[in-house]
Amino acid sequence: MNAELHYEISNFLYHEAYLLDHRQYKEWLDLLSEDLVYQMPIRVTSDNKDASNLVYEMKHFEETKKSLTTRVNRLYTTSAWVDNPATRQRHFVSNISVAPGSRPEEYRVRSYFLFKRSRASDIETEQLFGEREDVLRKENGEWKIASRTIYPDQAVLSVMNLGMFL
Amino acid sequence: MRNTLDKKTLSVLQQKISEGLMPQWVVTDPEIHQVEIEKIFGHTWQFLAHESELKEAGSYVTRWIVNDPVLLVRTNSGELKAFLNSCTHRGVHLCTADFGKKKTFTCPYHGWSFNLEGELIGIVAGDKVYGEEMDKSEWGLRPIPRLESYRGMIFANLDKNAMSLEDYLGDMKFYFDILLGRSDGGMEVRGVPQRWVANANWKALQENFSADPYHVQTNHRSTVEMGISPSDPLYASYGHQVILGHGHGINVITGANGRSKFPFQATPESMWPMFERNLSPEQYDLLSRTTVFVGGVFPNLSFVSPVHGTEGHLHNYLNFRVWRPLGPDKVEIWCWFMIDKAAPEDYKEAAYRGYIGSFGSSGTLEMDDTETWARIVQASKGIMSRDKELNYNNVSNYLMGFGRVEPDENFPGRGIAYPTTYLDAISRSLHEYWFELISKDLLDAGEEAK
Repeated sequence: MNAELHYEISNFLYHEAYLLDHRQYKEWLDLLSEDLVYQMPIRVTSDNKDASNLVYEMKHFEETKKSLTTRVNRLYTTSAWVDNPATRQRHFVSNISVAPGSRPEEYRVRSYFLFKRSRASDIETEQLFGEREDVLRKENGEWKIASRTIYPDQAVLSVMNLGMFL
Repeated sequence: MRNTLDKKTLSVLQQKISEGLMPQWVVTDPEIHQVEIEKIFGHTWQFLAHESELKEAGSYVTRWIVNDPVLLVRTNSGELKAFLNSCTHRGVHLCTADFGKKKTFTCPYHGWSFNLEGELIGIVAGDKVYGEEMDKSEWGLRPIPRLESYRGMIFANLDKNAMSLEDYLGDMKFYFDILLGRSDGGMEVRGVPQRWVANANWKALQENFSADPYHVQTNHRSTVEMGISPSDPLYASYGHQVILGHGHGINVITGANGRSKFPFQATPESMWPMFERNLSPEQYDLLSRTTVFVGGVFPNLSFVSPVHGTEGHLHNYLNFRVWRPLGPDKVEIWCWFMIDKAAPEDYKEAAYRGYIGSFGSSGTLEMDDTETWARIVQASKGIMSRDKELNYNNVSNYLMGFGRVEPDENFPGRGIAYPTTYLDAISRSLHEYWFELISKDLLDAGEEAK
C-alpha cells in the first residue's frame, strides 16, 4: 500500500474525529455512504478455546444511515438531555492500517480508538476503547465510510450510555 | 462507621413513608446500602437468566446476585442447577466466562474439577496428598439455596426459608402470563444481555420502570420534538397503574379511550389467534387494548414491552433488565432483548432494530434516563440531603394521587388497579415493602442498643 494513500485515509479519519468532537454531526453524516452498515458487536468473556469473544447476534449498535440520521437529528432537539449540557468528548484514532477491499475504489481500514468523555463538573471521565474495521470507498472523488464495525474491548461498558458515535 | 439506623431514625422513616414522602438521605446512604444488600438481596428472588439462554446439556451462564458469583448450568438430564461460582478448595472464582458449554469446570489454582452436577470429580494427586479417606462428596460446589422458575424466567434465592417464587410473584404471574406466555414456545432471548454501568442508585432505576410513566413526557421529550411520540402531555398516563404486592407493579398503558391505536402491540395479525388460545379471556382483552406494559419485580428486575420503530414501522419486543448494585451510587445494568419465539423472522429482526434504537446501551430513550438517574445521586450526597433528622425537610415527593385517586373495581386484570399511570401508588407500595424488609430485626436491635 503506498504511503500517499495511507496519509490520505489517515487524514480522513482524523477529520471525521474532529467533526464528532466539535459536534458537527450533520457534516459527519455527509461522510457516510447511503448504503452504510454501522455496527458494534458485544465483547464477551469466553473460554480461550472458543474461537471468538465477540457476539454478533446482539449488538450495541445496529445502524443504517437512516437510523443514524434519526440519532443525529435527536441531538439537535432542545431536550436530548444526555447532551444538554453538552458532554466534552475526544476521539483518538491510531494504529491505522490500509488494505485493498473487495471492490475497486474500496479499502479495508483498521484503526484503534480511544474515546474520552467529560460530563458537567465530574472529575471522573468516561472512556471506551477498542478497534474499528471500516470499508472506505471513493465516491465521485470523495471518501465515504461504506461500513464500520466497532469492536469494544470491554464486556461491561464503563460509560453511562452510548450517546456518542465511534 | 457509627450505626445510625436506630429505632428513632427508622420510626421517622416509617412515618414519612406512610405520608407518601421519602427522606432523601436513604438514596445514597452507605449504611442503608449495606442493610439493603443483606436484608433485601439476601432474601428476595433474584432473576438469573431466561431458559432460552441454556439450550443444551452442558450450557452454562455466569451471573451475579450483587456480590455472589453464580454458575447456572443445564445438567445432562436437562435439569437447571445453580452453584456459588467459587472453588470449594480455596474459594477461587471458578468459571470466569460469561457463558458457554462444558462438561467440567476446573479451577486454575490447584486443578480441582467439578461436573455439571457440582460434584467434585477430580483432585490433582488426590489420594497422595489427602489420603484415600477423603470424601469428595463433602467438597462439591455449594448450591444456591433456592432455584425456581416461572414461564422460563429462572430466579434464585439465597434464603432457603424464603416463600416460593410463585407466592412471591403473586399477582405478577397474571401479567407474566401475558408477556411471556402469550405465544407458543414462549419468548426467546436474542444473543446475550448488553451490560454497562451507570452512576445511579438501584432504587431510582427500579422506580423509573416500575412506577413512573410521569417522566416520559419530559425526560423523553426529544422524541416528542421529533414527532415520534405524541405531543399530548398526558399520553403516557392513559391506562392503569397496578399494585401487585411485595413491591411489584405494572403500568398498563393504553390510549385516551382505553384502547390502543396499535391492537396487540402492533404484532402480526396472524399471531392473534395464538394469543387467544394461550391467554385467558381477561388477559387476551387486556393485551388487545394495551400499547405499553412497563413494570418491575421487586427489588431489581424491570421490564418494558413497548411499541417502537426507527424506520417508520412499529414493532413490539420485550426487554428485561437487572440493576445490579455495585455501590450506593453505581449500578451495573444487564439488559435482555426477548421476542416471541413464534413470531415471523423478519418481524423479529425489525423489532430487534427497534429495540437497539430505543432502549439498551445505545437506546435514544434509555440514554436520557441514565442522565437523570446520575443527577439524583449527584444531588443526594450533601449535608442537607443526608440529614437523618430531617432538619432541612429533605424529603422526596411521592404524593401524586395520594388520597385522591381510587382503585378501578372494573379493571379486568389482577392487583389493585388505579385508572391512571401518572400516579405514585406503586412507588409508595415499593417503599413500604422496602421498609418492611430493611427494618426486620433492626427495630428490635435498635431498642436493645439503647
